[in-house]
Amino acid sequence: MTIEILRDLRGMRVQVVHPPDTEGVALIEHLRRIGCQAEAIWPMEDAHGVATDVFFVAVDHDRRHAIQQFARSFGVNAPTLIAVVGYEDPSTLQLVLEAGAHAVIERPIRPFGVLTQLIVARNLWLQQREARQQLQKLERKLAGQQNVQRAKLILMGTQGLTEEEAHRTLRRRAMSKRMAVEELAVSIISADDLLRSRTALR
Amino acid sequence: MNASRLAIDEINQAGGILGLPIEAIVGDSASNPHRARIVAEQMILRHGLRLLFGCYMSSTRKAVLPVIEAHRGLLFYPTLYEGFEYSDRCIYTGAAPNQNALQLARFLLERQGSRVLMVGSDYVFPHESNRVMADLVEQGLGKIVGEFYVPLHAESSDFDHVIAEIRRTEPDVVFSTVVGHATALFYEAYRRAGFDPYRQPIASLTTSEAEVAAMTPEAAEGHITAAPFFERLGTPAADRFVASYKARFGPDAPVTASAEAAYFQMHLAALALQHAGTDRPDQVIASLHDIEFAAPQGRVRIDPGNNHCFLWPRVARLNAYGRFQVVWDPGVRLKPDPYCILQRPGESPGVVAAAPYHPFAQ
Repeated sequence: MTIEILRDLRGMRVQVVHPPDTEGVALIEHLRRIGCQAEAIWPMEDAHGVATDVFFVAVDHDRRHAIQQFARSFGVNAPTLIAVVGYEDPSTLQLVLEAGAHAVIERPIRPFGVLTQLIVARNLWLQQREARQQLQKLERKLAGQQNVQRAKLILMGTQGLTEEEAHRTLRRRAMSKRMAVEELAVSIISADDLLRSRTALR
Repeated sequence: MNASRLAIDEINQAGGILGLPIEAIVGDSASNPHRARIVAEQMILRHGLRLLFGCYMSSTRKAVLPVIEAHRGLLFYPTLYEGFEYSDRCIYTGAAPNQNALQLARFLLERQGSRVLMVGSDYVFPHESNRVMADLVEQGLGKIVGEFYVPLHAESSDFDHVIAEIRRTEPDVVFSTVVGHATALFYEAYRRAGFDPYRQPIASLTTSEAEVAAMTPEAAEGHITAAPFFERLGTPAADRFVASYKARFGPDAPVTASAEAAYFQMHLAALALQHAGTDRPDQVIASLHDIEFAAPQGRVRIDPGNNHCFLWPRVARLNAYGRFQVVWDPGVRLKPDPYCILQRPGESPGVVAAAPYHPFAQ
């Protein structure tokens, strides 16, 4: 059965940030041949923040500054990026990493290998995105649990409950108010803050 | 090889190219990739050749192409293959999967049924063909009931468990990508097992007149192959080609789709040379993108976007005399799409086959 990423290839939006020379044209032609919606963008500044699925970017160290600016223009929503390189000296390698490349193709560009790099890069990007989403979810969950813990301590302190009783009270209240335990915990914490600050004012 | 020679003779009898006869220099790779690379290097370096014709298996093409690319030569490759390749130094004149597998799957699902068992020789082409076929069957809401591989040089006994599985699962169709001499062994074993090929045919992309010549007519009868050319296509152009071939190589010489591609690609090359006024590969490639040739299967041309060939998909069934009879021929020339990926179930193969594909459109 065909791997899912290959199915997404047809109609995948690909921007080729590369000088409009024979190599750039050949790369675009091959990307179209394999079914992508490939377009050229040049100069590099025109590609800042452009919405697309994948970028191929010429990474040469005489354009160091432009490449760094391009990479920064996406903030946290970094796109799938494949670097096109002519050198593998340490400063080019550093630029490849700074650009956030998921894969690399070498000059002279030839058709064989482009599809493989595209698939590997896209897969890596999808995995990273999933991992990031998972991480955000876990961070939210952790923060929520910390709040629940604090709210329980507040209830125990102000109402003289055991932890088990505080836990049950929270659950019961949240259910009757039709809200998440974490949400209720946040309101208890802010109410407690408010009370404390009023006590302090007196 | 024979078909290339036939075309060269015809071209030379008509006065050659730019007044010069074609001279063929022949090397035998014995379908061995290492040997193929050496032969290609010798042809280019020792004989100064730049236009090469041939290769059968993908492995030899893959071995030869880097050599040809490095010397900026040009290879004409006449065999159907699994697709997913493009070289600006290669002209592909056999069928890509969108020109044979797609049509075969549609034909089988409509006429035979939707439960398919797959059996193949264990190398790249069968694995890739089976992947395509599995997608097509799934898309047509059919079911793959089994997938089996036998060694490339299989013996009769290697098919015992395949036959047992066919008996157990009772598929509507057996899709076979068994190649070479093992093909006849499989069809004979199928016959001995007593399956009815009209109810449960073996369907193939590679079982040609050459493979059938190694079987008894009883073993061949009823089975199905998809290809752009069959010996008994019956058009005047096809009949002329078959008659010339048999006059030259004997009345029993099988005339296959690969032979037809080898024949027309030589004529295409000659036309392109004539048109370009030189044998320099860069100009020959440019000319190839501008010309058409009336091949035995119908008029063919090279797609400038991917260097593969526009072809005429057909499906044929073997009759009681072991001859292919065309049973499906829409008379349509189809654009090659070597990177064709089928979309999700529910989208019909027809829509995919006709999907617009404009390599140079903005």
